[in-house]
Amino acid sequence: MKNRLKVLRAERDWSQQDLATRLEVSRQSVNAIETGRYDPSLPLAFRIADAFGLTIEEIFLRTE
Amino acid sequence: MSGTGGPWLLKSPGRWVALYFLSIAVIAALKLSGAIESPVGFILLAAATFLLFPLARRGADGCTSQAMAAYNRRIVFSSFGYVLGLGIAITLWDRYELSDPAVFAISLLPTLPTFGIIWAMGRYLAEEQDEYLRHRTIMAALVALGLVLALGIFWGFLEMFELVPHVWAWWVLPVWAIGLGLAQLWQKVRGA
Repeated sequence: MKNRLKVLRAERDWSQQDLATRLEVSRQSVNAIETGRYDPSLPLAFRIADAFGLTIEEIFLRTE
Repeated sequence: MSGTGGPWLLKSPGRWVALYFLSIAVIAALKLSGAIESPVGFILLAAATFLLFPLARRGADGCTSQAMAAYNRRIVFSSFGYVLGLGIAITLWDRYELSDPAVFAISLLPTLPTFGIIWAMGRYLAEEQDEYLRHRTIMAALVALGLVLALGIFWGFLEMFELVPHVWAWWVLPVWAIGLGLAQLWQKVRGA
């Protein structure tokens, strides 16, 4: 699943560790999600959306 | 080298783990060459386990979750118990004519700590709050299980057709642990 995490982080000047701290997960988790190697669970996707103040659909994109 | 002050070796628990495996290799080489006998070998192995104690003392930090810190602690103590139990059991078996109940009892000495290792893995999966780290460990554990099953089945048939010698069934744990380590190494190399 594609996502806009890297862009959204850059807009806020957050490092992967900054986002990981906000989400209370490891930096490896943020990296794996950001690079599309791991799709987060729905609860974690909601936490990511909350961290950016956006909806899930604005962060994660459908891949056909 | 990293950080300031103190010997470089003390800075990373990973280096203590590397030193532990080096010690195991040296002790195994001494034992295989006949330079040391069985009780001395086990005493040295038990002593070498102390090299893992910095890993057990390591708390949660940027690289290690609280659940992983607890897992490391449990694994180190279980491993220490395993080496100690195995050493005592083999020494008793070699030196005394034991009754069946006594043999049953000494078999439990190295067995119970290995149950501790299995329990530690179960607790880790239950306690890990980071779903991605939990996912990685589950995948590595499945790879390790696949390795045990594949080797076990293949070896079983090789043994049945009398091509290879009999192997005791407790090998499953070390093979599983090796499989877990290799799978985690593979995950690291792939950047997973």
